[in-house]
Amino acid sequence: MDHARSMRSMIIEEFFRHKLAVVGLVVIVSLTILALSADLISDWTGIDPNSQNVSARYLEPFTYAEEAADQRENKITEWIKDNPENAKKISAAIVEKQLLNVTVDDALYELVSKNPEEIQKLLKQIDLPEKKSLQTLSKTFSTFHLFGTDEIGRDVAIRLLYGTRVSMGVGVLVALVSALIGFLIGGIAGFYQGIIDTLLMRVTDALLSLPIVPVLIVFAAIDLTKLPGLKSLISGEFESVFKMVILLCLFSWMPVARLVRGSILTLREREFVLAARTLGAKDSTIIFRHLLPNVIATLLVSVTLGVGESILFEAALSFLGLGIMPPTASWGNMLNNAQEVIYKSVWIAILPGLLIWITVVSFNFIGDGLQEAMDPKSVKR
Amino acid sequence: MSSYILRRIIQTMIMIALVSYVCFFLMSLMPGDPIELMLSSNPKMTTADVERLRELYGLNQPATTRYINWVKTIAHGDLGYSRTYRVPVTEIIGARLLNSFILSLIALIFSLAIAIPLGVFSALRPNSKLDTFVSIFSFTGISVPSFWLGLLLILIFAVKLGWLPAGGTETIDAEFSSSWRYFWDRGLYIILPVLSLSLQQIGRFVRFVRSSMRETLQTDFVRTAKAKGLSMHDVIWKHAFRNALIPVITIIALSISTIFSGALLTETVFAYQGVGKLIYDSIMANDYNVAMVSFIISVSMVLIMSLVADLLYGVIDPRISYS
Repeated sequence: MDHARSMRSMIIEEFFRHKLAVVGLVVIVSLTILALSADLISDWTGIDPNSQNVSARYLEPFTYAEEAADQRENKITEWIKDNPENAKKISAAIVEKQLLNVTVDDALYELVSKNPEEIQKLLKQIDLPEKKSLQTLSKTFSTFHLFGTDEIGRDVAIRLLYGTRVSMGVGVLVALVSALIGFLIGGIAGFYQGIIDTLLMRVTDALLSLPIVPVLIVFAAIDLTKLPGLKSLISGEFESVFKMVILLCLFSWMPVARLVRGSILTLREREFVLAARTLGAKDSTIIFRHLLPNVIATLLVSVTLGVGESILFEAALSFLGLGIMPPTASWGNMLNNAQEVIYKSVWIAILPGLLIWITVVSFNFIGDGLQEAMDPKSVKR
Repeated sequence: MSSYILRRIIQTMIMIALVSYVCFFLMSLMPGDPIELMLSSNPKMTTADVERLRELYGLNQPATTRYINWVKTIAHGDLGYSRTYRVPVTEIIGARLLNSFILSLIALIFSLAIAIPLGVFSALRPNSKLDTFVSIFSFTGISVPSFWLGLLLILIFAVKLGWLPAGGTETIDAEFSSSWRYFWDRGLYIILPVLSLSLQQIGRFVRFVRSSMRETLQTDFVRTAKAKGLSMHDVIWKHAFRNALIPVITIIALSISTIFSGALLTETVFAYQGVGKLIYDSIMANDYNVAMVSFIISVSMVLIMSLVADLLYGVIDPRISYS
């Protein structure tokens, strides 16, 4: 006789039978890992997501860019200040070997004004152990741009990585919070029924019937800090990110609320609720301990599908310049001036959108896979 | 039935009133009011002047009083004056609403024309290659960011191939020899916006049509039709198909506001002179009067159209009783 299997293991097995859902999961997991290691990658490649380079705008993918002369000068001045002894030795060596035809004082400055390959070549001819740190420094003078650069010379690849953090973070956060709000409102409406139910559902339906993008635009344009109480909440570097999360949560809990109310209406008539009530359980205990576990499956599906939806709305608003504000990168605001940029560099306009598309498709496939796996009718035993 | 209609109409009216009030209130929270804007263009104004102007325009009154006054002027047909366009709002908004309506309607018809056959055929052959293809297509369609799809279409058809104009509503300053030429011109400009607006809708509709058709195929009356020996063609098209379409009308009613939402983005990407672009542009230009009026009017239109579609549902499906 077969072992009796737990519901969970059956659902997991069923989920992994849905090929597209598995592909979606792999994509999302890899993107999450990449996004979380954005800082590491930035340190390792020496590319900062916000460093601008006017001399290297609109570079094609797979190209190297040289850092502007003044920035190199700043770096070398800094280095000389940090290692005065080494600087003297190396300068002396340069003049002594007649690698460059300059005075000792200018030697290092003259060196860094050469192009990066030449600097490396010249440094190779000096055999002092002190040159090590100068060599690492000079390596940062030339940067490799996997996906080219944007209109002010920022690296597109690293911005996409940081954008993944923001866009996926906002998407997941909004989906979770709006699922919570939706559960509370739907749960209260379904549990108490009567006038509370009518009132809450009227509000839900009313919000559902509104065209969401224009409404979001109007709300995004207002100065939220003019509202009392929100000022302390929304401030600092990530002001626009918080604002976005709050706004999107405000307008995306309704489908969840409808869904939860529907299930609660049938669940509350079941015997286990009656039993709990007979034992003297409080309403909040019944809702959170007895009803929530029964709707968690539906909630999980709508959270996954909600992430995709939220990412799309965030991207749309940021694209319009009303969402996440630069310099914080998000996939949407990287497309902000794509309409003009499209004539100069195709990649800047294509890549962020492609990432949005892939991510949202993946979340939707995962949601579909979960839904099918949890549907008792579809379980193939 | 009539009491249901009445109730729905009253609900919609309340909704419009609420939306307009909330919108009016929100506009007062936008950065910079008209007087501040005047002040920035004319630094010579004194605080006394500012007070006098606020008094003159009634800006020192509470929001509710201002709202009631504003509704009164609207009721007289005076929609106010646009700061950026330097014309009364009534002169711009009509044409913009019409443009948006044309775009949305064509996109709706186009999406249905593609989605209904796709959905029906994939429901007839579940788990076939066509079904898998349609399912993947609808998923990718739902997930595509419509504004980016618009950019992509511009890149391919306008920049690379040069077949269609990259944006706009019609050729500016062109003389048309006949109205046919004018329609042809408008048609060229509307192709790309319609495509970019439709893909997401097609994805949604296909899934809905497919599941509705699958459900209908399993009903008793379809089995009866088969049992009495009707040809498969008659069973599918005369019995199942017509009944499967009934719930599709609900999804049309629901999709009106989604399409309008998408139209705003599409219009902005393609610089198509619709009301969505008007809302966006006027908000960006601090032209709050235009923003408010166009927002409230277009949202009211959307709500009224959804109401009509909803009521039509009852006319088409006599089984629905409103009580």
